[in-house]
Amino acid sequence: MDYMEGGKLFRRSSNWKMNKGKIFKLAKGFRGRAKNCIRIARERVEKALQYSYRDRHNKKRDMRSLWIERINSGTRLHGVNYGKFMHGLMKENIQLNRKVLSELSMHEPYSFKALVDVSRTSFPGNRPVKKEGLAAIL
Amino acid sequence: MATATLPLRLLPSKTLTLTTLPSARRSLSVSAVEPRRWRLRAAAEESPEAVEVEFVEAEEEPAVPEPVEAQLAAAGAGKDADIFAVVMVGWLPLIGSRQYIVMPGRYIYTQRLKGANVNDQIILNKVLLVSTREKAYIGMPVVTNAAVHAVVEEQGRDDKVIVFKFKKKKKYQRKLGHRQPNTRLRITGISGYEEYPADPILDPAAA
Repeated sequence: MDYMEGGKLFRRSSNWKMNKGKIFKLAKGFRGRAKNCIRIARERVEKALQYSYRDRHNKKRDMRSLWIERINSGTRLHGVNYGKFMHGLMKENIQLNRKVLSELSMHEPYSFKALVDVSRTSFPGNRPVKKEGLAAIL
Repeated sequence: MATATLPLRLLPSKTLTLTTLPSARRSLSVSAVEPRRWRLRAAAEESPEAVEVEFVEAEEEPAVPEPVEAQLAAAGAGKDADIFAVVMVGWLPLIGSRQYIVMPGRYIYTQRLKGANVNDQIILNKVLLVSTREKAYIGMPVVTNAAVHAVVEEQGRDDKVIVFKFKKKKKYQRKLGHRQPNTRLRITGISGYEEYPADPILDPAAA
């Protein structure tokens, strides 16, 4: 554990010179004086580290919503929407998670279509696939 | 070489880190209809034909692009087999575990498997989906008797993340570095799925 009482790890006067190299290394690519001048870089680096802590947690939420968007668009090509698709999968006790389903919808379309068919037989109630309708829109 | 079947129940990890894609897997969805700009600039009489043909193809097949395996075989990549599986590794209470898309010959990074040495053979039993060129074996929830064979390649650690907690105007900050242990598994084969009821995959020529 690498912490100081009073929370002055970055700003203790005795550490002022020792930490400069580490601060500048973390400040690479920053805009303007934030990458050159220690006083400004120190603040920006602290902010950057706070953002990265927060965003490591946000990334999980964002990725999940991205996967759901992708699954939604993949199933709508086959005439099923996301909610009904997932309901059909849950009824059949298929436990593929959304990350894998979004990968399949992008890269393995035939396996994904098999999954959509399974879901559709298990939970009917979606409009049938109208190839003519899709081609007409395009 | 020792053959060990690892228990699937692993110690819970401290941070639920995400794996985005399995490491060796690139984005394989090459669109078949990329406009080739060099061609349009070259011969004037060729360009209208090229553009028209490509547009027609795009309209006819919006929903069912070429499967990855067919593209790779056409490109001459001999490394990928005609099969992939979705396997679940590990078990965390109340959370579940991670699922990976595996193909023979590729490697994946998983959470550190305790008690596994380098060059140990490992069998992963929770196979959720196996798909070949002709058939998809969709497990409900698991494809019975299917197993994914893997070899432990390396027990290393992830890249360092700096955990920095800060409360402004209250003189509180904590800085901590963290490297999560991981294990690299090289997938050698997928077996045991043949007797499971399968859904046929549409032939791309027929579709």
